[in-house]
Amino acid sequence: MKIQVLFGTESGNAEMAAEDLALSVRSDDQEVEVHDLSDFSISELQHDALYVFICSTYGEGDLPNTALPFFADLNIVRPDLAWVRYAIFGLGDTFYSETYSQGATKLADKLNELGAERVGEFGRYDASSWEPVGEKAVEWFSGVLEAAAQMQ
Amino acid sequence: MDSVVSIAIVGSGPAGCYVAQSLRRALPESEITIYDRLASPFGLVRYGVAPDHQSTKSIQAQFARLFERENVRFAGNITVGSDVSLDELRSTHNIVVLASGLSEDRVVGVPGEDLPEVHRAGRLTRVFNAHPMEPVGVPDFGGAVAVIGGGNVSIDVLRLLIKRPEDFANSDVDDTALGQYAQAPVRRVEFICRSTVANAPSDPVMLAELGRIPGVAFTCSDPVAVPEDATRQASARAKALEGLLELAPGPQTRVQVALHFGWSPVRILGADHVEGVELRSVEDDREHRRVATDSVVTAVGFDFDRHNWHGLGELSRNLETGALDRGLYRTGWIKRGSRGTIAENRACAKAVAEEILADLPALDPAPRPGYDGLPEDVRARAVDYAAWRRVDLAEASAAAHGRARKKFPSHDHMVAIAHDTLAGPSGAGNH
Repeated sequence: MKIQVLFGTESGNAEMAAEDLALSVRSDDQEVEVHDLSDFSISELQHDALYVFICSTYGEGDLPNTALPFFADLNIVRPDLAWVRYAIFGLGDTFYSETYSQGATKLADKLNELGAERVGEFGRYDASSWEPVGEKAVEWFSGVLEAAAQMQ
Repeated sequence: MDSVVSIAIVGSGPAGCYVAQSLRRALPESEITIYDRLASPFGLVRYGVAPDHQSTKSIQAQFARLFERENVRFAGNITVGSDVSLDELRSTHNIVVLASGLSEDRVVGVPGEDLPEVHRAGRLTRVFNAHPMEPVGVPDFGGAVAVIGGGNVSIDVLRLLIKRPEDFANSDVDDTALGQYAQAPVRRVEFICRSTVANAPSDPVMLAELGRIPGVAFTCSDPVAVPEDATRQASARAKALEGLLELAPGPQTRVQVALHFGWSPVRILGADHVEGVELRSVEDDREHRRVATDSVVTAVGFDFDRHNWHGLGELSRNLETGALDRGLYRTGWIKRGSRGTIAENRACAKAVAEEILADLPALDPAPRPGYDGLPEDVRARAVDYAAWRRVDLAEASAAAHGRARKKFPSHDHMVAIAHDTLAGPSGAGNH
């Protein structure tokens, strides 16, 4: 199973988490690719991959600008994603209590609506915690891999 | 250009760090040095973001990676313009990117602005952040202060002024400044925003945060509601303001905040001392309003520091391009002006990096030595990242209870710790 990490970022923190995650997965001899959502088209989605979305929140609980074209394509093309399995890790800041981590939630809701199946827990990271975001993502992803193994 | 490209970035704040990231990714073999006049990296993150907004400062962890893992050199304690000239930097590096930000507070441009009780937001934020080049301390604001400007910096100032010392838990506020201010905190703030609520530049969550400070009574004699078809941000702002106005601390009130939206300052009143501010309605210029205050803080953006702009004269006003000259670029606020969040510098840096990459083939192909080509006395004074980490650790261990760190207010002291030349028991015997 190939792992495709797709990040949507405004400040670069989600990219940093994506790179850390990929590094840790690679050291386990897993095949992994990292893409910026702004460079990734929905036509590139493949059957045999696990998609790992790492996505922040911007403005009033919106997706980061770099993720907007991908999100817009999901809305316009409305592809059938019944064959897509994904995991998702949202970055936010509880300081922004009302919109905390809403960007990732919006993306996940859309993926679910189009039939995709989420694997593992919805990961959430809070910038106010000052914990290393990469470590939290790696920790979260080990749970995702366990859940994925149980599904097979 | 096939040889190793040497790159100098001037300024280690968000603009400089983001452009280093982009250039490192595109040019893995390049030699990149980020110069800073201070011994500490991260610029605005450390000294411009308010000390009680630690989660905003957490972006530092991302920038630190440049120096820790991505082979970008930090050369602090080097002022371009005095320790090394811009020409010297350009002749030793293939590419120079200016990312030194805007640190000079912009003036409002109204009569009375030169009165002694008119203070500047950027300077005040640096004082509360223990900036080593702001030694003057916290001014005496008297009982009532007008804060002119409606953006997030203005709200930072308002928040710093209405918080009690105990509201700074887990911050890295300068306790000397805080102690000075606590001697005579203001009892009334007139917050003056030129825009109406719908068009104000403030982040709604910054307004809502003010409501969590105990003992503050907010009033507003201007309409707060926004039209039905207003943007989501405008509606969120109106809602945040309504929340503030509903608070009623009653006898617990320590400080009153009068909010003005849609009012432009016409003049600062008073002959020898500030006595107030005269305002004019932006919707009807026949309508005037006077507020009585003892002092003023302006927070209307930032401009070039006339003493620190690298001898370039008037920089190009063409905001479309980062290129200033052959091999010379700019990014961040000195390209775009003082607006936008920290994250907006990332997209800006990416665009400038792309410009640089496109120009590379046409640049002088001769290799330039980069940092190693600078005179020895310049390199001797440099604070590299390992040296900065000594300061970083010393600050963390000097932190008082309830503080994230204690930032050292003396630059000489920082440099001495960095170079491990501190006199006295802790520095002696190491050589």
